[in-house]
Amino acid sequence: MNDNNIIQVTDLHKWFGMLHVLRGISFSVKPKEVLVLIGRSGSGKSTLLRCLNFMEEPSSGAISVGGVSVESAPGVRVGHQKVLALRLQMGMVFQEFNLFPHMTVLGNVIEGLVTVKKMQKDQAVAIGEKYLAKVGLSDKRDIHPIRLSGGQKQRVAIARALAMEPKVMLFDEPTSALDPELIGEVLDVMKQLALEGTTMIVVTHEMGFAEDVSDRVIYIDQGKIVEEGEPHAIFTDPKDERTKTFLKPLLKLQHLQE
Amino acid sequence: MAADLPLPVASGGADPDLQMGLSLEAHQRRKRLIQIFKIAIVWAVLVGLMIAVLMQLRFDPAYVAQHYSFVLQGAMVTIGVSLASIFFATILALLGAVGRLSQNAIAQGISGLYVSIFRGTPLLIQIYLIYLGLPQIGAALSRQGFDQLGDMFTLNALQAGILALSLNYGAYMTEIFRAGIQSIGYGQQEAATAIGMNGWQTFRRIILPQAVRVIIPDIGNQFIAMQKDSALVSIMGIWEITFRANRLARKDTKFMEMFLLAAALYWILTIISSWLENRLERRLSQAYER
Repeated sequence: MNDNNIIQVTDLHKWFGMLHVLRGISFSVKPKEVLVLIGRSGSGKSTLLRCLNFMEEPSSGAISVGGVSVESAPGVRVGHQKVLALRLQMGMVFQEFNLFPHMTVLGNVIEGLVTVKKMQKDQAVAIGEKYLAKVGLSDKRDIHPIRLSGGQKQRVAIARALAMEPKVMLFDEPTSALDPELIGEVLDVMKQLALEGTTMIVVTHEMGFAEDVSDRVIYIDQGKIVEEGEPHAIFTDPKDERTKTFLKPLLKLQHLQE
Repeated sequence: MAADLPLPVASGGADPDLQMGLSLEAHQRRKRLIQIFKIAIVWAVLVGLMIAVLMQLRFDPAYVAQHYSFVLQGAMVTIGVSLASIFFATILALLGAVGRLSQNAIAQGISGLYVSIFRGTPLLIQIYLIYLGLPQIGAALSRQGFDQLGDMFTLNALQAGILALSLNYGAYMTEIFRAGIQSIGYGQQEAATAIGMNGWQTFRRIILPQAVRVIIPDIGNQFIAMQKDSALVSIMGIWEITFRANRLARKDTKFMEMFLLAAALYWILTIISSWLENRLERRLSQAYER
């Protein structure tokens, strides 16, 4: 194990009942690295992301993020404090935004600061405003999420995750629920974060984003890492047959567009 | 420049689309007015028939006019009992719903049995049990030397009435709260978890406020139903609307006069409550309006 890694995952397994969804996943992420996970639906890429912050409890394996290490094994319960410590290392952005509809935009962003970090209101507001400015939505701070477009909602969700000042950002198909014309504004924010050196793990079908922004791409199939490498190499010359068949239609389309 | 352009409304016949729209709208409005007028006629006929029947029965309006304030004084008691009961019922329902949704066997067992028993037995029996049955337990406790505990089991009529209504309605409302809590999507829970909130924080800050908005109309309906069911507490001699009406009706054999008056009072209370509930509902949904 390399001490320079901000994320270290070792032999991660996840069963849903009889279903063996993650079959021994190991990988690491360096600080400021942008890692993209690709794969068919049902390949386990979302589950992997959700296991990292214990949204799903791994069946077995070791996870270490930002210096917090948790080991899972069948029949062993990981303590709440440990899980919380791990979770606070990561911010998560969901496909369906999941903003809190009964709170204003600013209320959404500062909720974790006030409730979890027990921060004073004015201090939390200052941080919240900073991150709303970062995603370009300062003028929306006092309205409720229902009045936002999908792209704006997702940017608020990103600000909400950033406000907790995590060491790593997890994105679970952040643009899949968006109308095509709204995808760009979300990807632009993510690109900006990457440029600023945010460590990110992104599950996405946006191959253009993966190629332009990411440092490394991992292809997952049936709960295993099949291929990983630098994006240009994977997209132009995939080694594994499964990666080839997966990427073929997507890349064809892209070449046609260019 | 632009300010010099005539407004479309002012242009009158200039725009055929606008003309068409305005005339259609006027037509709709006329149709609505005619409908309201027809309904008013139907109501007038029905009320006229009712008055005719009552006159035939030698209905005594002067008696009502003379005694209505005595019955009306009971309205405050009815409202007070209902408000107190809906308050305690809401607390019980919240606890009940949390119990039903919890993984804890004790909490699930208690809340499940509570809902089953109090929904499965008549409110009237529950009132009898609490008002007349509990003091027997109290007496037994007193005999064994637990005087203070024994006294707690002997409730006055008002306490017994509020307790019975609260327990009964709390059982029904447990199911309402449970459904409301379950109607909040799992994504909300996930988002709260992701920023590090624990189960209780998520429930209090994220789930409950949204669930309450969903179930406000149902709580309003329960309150309206409760106002009318509170008539049952008159059997314990609480001086609310029904008790007062009943007392005069029997003394002076003016049954139709007094019970119609009581019915009218309940009806008015119900109309006021629905109106208030509507306003509250609209206020709570403001966050959800575009």
